[in-house]
Amino acid sequence: MTGPFTALGHALQRIAAMAAKEAAHIRRDPQTLAMALAMPVALLLLFGYGVTFDLEKLPVVAVDQDHTSVARSMVRSFSASRELVIAAELDSVEKGEALMREGRAVAVVVIPEGFSRALARGERTQLQLVVDGADATTALQTINKADAIASTALSLPVTTPGQGAARLVVDTWTLYNPAGRSALLLVPGLMAFILAMVCVLLTALTVAREWERGSMEQLFTTPIRRGELILGKLLPYVGLGILGVLLVLAVGAWVFGVPIRGSLLTLAVAALLFLIGMLAQGLFISVITKNQMVATQVGTLTSMLPIQILSGFIFPVANMPVPLQVVAQVMPATHFIAALRGILLRGNGLREQWQHLLALAAFALVMVVITSAKFRRRLD
Amino acid sequence: MTDKAIEVQRLRRVFGSFVAVDDVSFDVAKGEIFGYLGANGAGKSTTIRMLCGLLAPSGGQAKVAGCAVGANTLALRSRIGYMSQKFSLYLDLPVEANIEFFGGAYGLYGKALARRRDELIERIGLGELRRVVTADLPGGIRQRLALATALLHQPQIVFLDEPTAGVDPASRRSFWRLIRELAREGTTVFVTTHYMDEAEYCARIGLMVSGQLVALDSPRVLKDKWVPGKVLTVQGRDEKTMKSVLGDQPGVLAIEPFGATVHIRFDPARLDEAAIEQMLANCGSETLLIDKAEVSLEDVFLAVVSKGVNPSTVSHADAGVPA
Repeated sequence: MTGPFTALGHALQRIAAMAAKEAAHIRRDPQTLAMALAMPVALLLLFGYGVTFDLEKLPVVAVDQDHTSVARSMVRSFSASRELVIAAELDSVEKGEALMREGRAVAVVVIPEGFSRALARGERTQLQLVVDGADATTALQTINKADAIASTALSLPVTTPGQGAARLVVDTWTLYNPAGRSALLLVPGLMAFILAMVCVLLTALTVAREWERGSMEQLFTTPIRRGELILGKLLPYVGLGILGVLLVLAVGAWVFGVPIRGSLLTLAVAALLFLIGMLAQGLFISVITKNQMVATQVGTLTSMLPIQILSGFIFPVANMPVPLQVVAQVMPATHFIAALRGILLRGNGLREQWQHLLALAAFALVMVVITSAKFRRRLD
Repeated sequence: MTDKAIEVQRLRRVFGSFVAVDDVSFDVAKGEIFGYLGANGAGKSTTIRMLCGLLAPSGGQAKVAGCAVGANTLALRSRIGYMSQKFSLYLDLPVEANIEFFGGAYGLYGKALARRRDELIERIGLGELRRVVTADLPGGIRQRLALATALLHQPQIVFLDEPTAGVDPASRRSFWRLIRELAREGTTVFVTTHYMDEAEYCARIGLMVSGQLVALDSPRVLKDKWVPGKVLTVQGRDEKTMKSVLGDQPGVLAIEPFGATVHIRFDPARLDEAAIEQMLANCGSETLLIDKAEVSLEDVFLAVVSKGVNPSTVSHADAGVPA
């Protein structure tokens, strides 16, 4: 053929044809668009507003056995806090526990007899906190908040330097996310989740569909090369994935005030590496299964579920048993989420996050190699 | 330059312990319509897939459009068109989009693609349907569209695997008109079918039974060879009577029921029509109707299947093995 088109030009032209066709499929299937764009935003809003991990106005029962002004002021400080509220003041721990059993209180604060006396002498004093451990998250937060309130309250009446020195005051200063807002933690996780969903599931589906319909056979008889086929097929989904990520970043920033403090370039590199790894994983699944139904199931089981549970999206990796930690370390989502949190919240760049980027690159490389080895242009 | 479009030597394909194509050899001339006949599972699709570079042969060689199969498949792909047995266009896309995509895959773009697209849409008579979603088209039109996409890059050879399966007779006829036009323009057509009437359109026919090519020739020669003699259709006498009268006559080759009538096949060198009519007239009182009949490829196929290979392998051919 004559003309300015070189071999590369021909390849690009075939990739463009493939991409245009794939885009036409997406345009004609509103479900795909909804899954890629509307669902992430819905998830973010849902998590950001509804399923917040920040608890407020937790009902607490106060049991004052000391009956002094210091004890009264301690009870008042509990009432004054935003996080805890004194639901009732009772005279015994048993009565308080009864309220807790009914679910009307999450904890009982007991101010023991002799509390203020011991305090005045500068001795070690104790407040007792009985917590409903049925909901571990709530219990943990209640303990933390009660601790914080008590420490603050105690530092007020005791002002004499000689006496104050006897106590060790733990002063916690939370950096990067001082208000402890869940949205800040969730946005990086959701970005990983969305990319994984768009890349693994949609890709697995679209390639499996070609096998299932028999059009893959037709494609194999055209001069389109394997790489061109894959690239052209994936391009629209890459675009969709990037769009989804930008959407989540924007909603995160505007609605929940999630900052982007770190390097945008590192952010883009991390997202791209993760994207490639996920796309290759989706392709791999579809090449192995060649069936839309099975591909969906395998895709969900190998990407979405582990990302929700194992990647540190919701549950910290460090709290997991060692075998699961190993699994988490192999998963690219774990590294992507960790890197994102560093970049978005701590203002990190390549210098702090290179190990995570390296892990992402390694996964992408391995996946691409395995997939191209498995993806044959032949039917046998 | 050779005048052969396809050269196949001892081609073989094995799936596990199943021999799908067993030492098949044949040539197809340029511009020929070559028909490949056989039951489901006889190895027709497997042969086509090997020739299109979709399946690796287990043995033997094949040269298609000057390219050795299995070597430079990319060069081969731009010279052949393929229409698979399973309808494999994109049903969710309109007619035009399907043609444009496959055109792009074959390396057409811009004005050349638009020109070729319009030309083919015109040719297959889909002018007013060009924006219709493919899923809404009836089967016959879909097949024509599939043929059009296989022709986009003006291939030297088109492979059509059961192109008219499940299509109504009128659509089959118009489809075959397109095929004959193609061949007249010099395109080699390799077509599989199990419709015997369609096979009549082919210049030459290969008959596949259980992976083996058991007969190969023009429909005329095949008929003369496997179903020799002339055939008469007789009405007015039952088969039993005729067998008792004509059964022992030298020159009578076969007496077989054919619908409400009976077919008598005889050797014209030893017997003539008038003699047969005379003998039958004398053995009954009903009105006797005698007419000349054509030997069909169906007769050839039945003759080949029953004589050509042993019956146990014949039944194997219908066992639903990979097509």
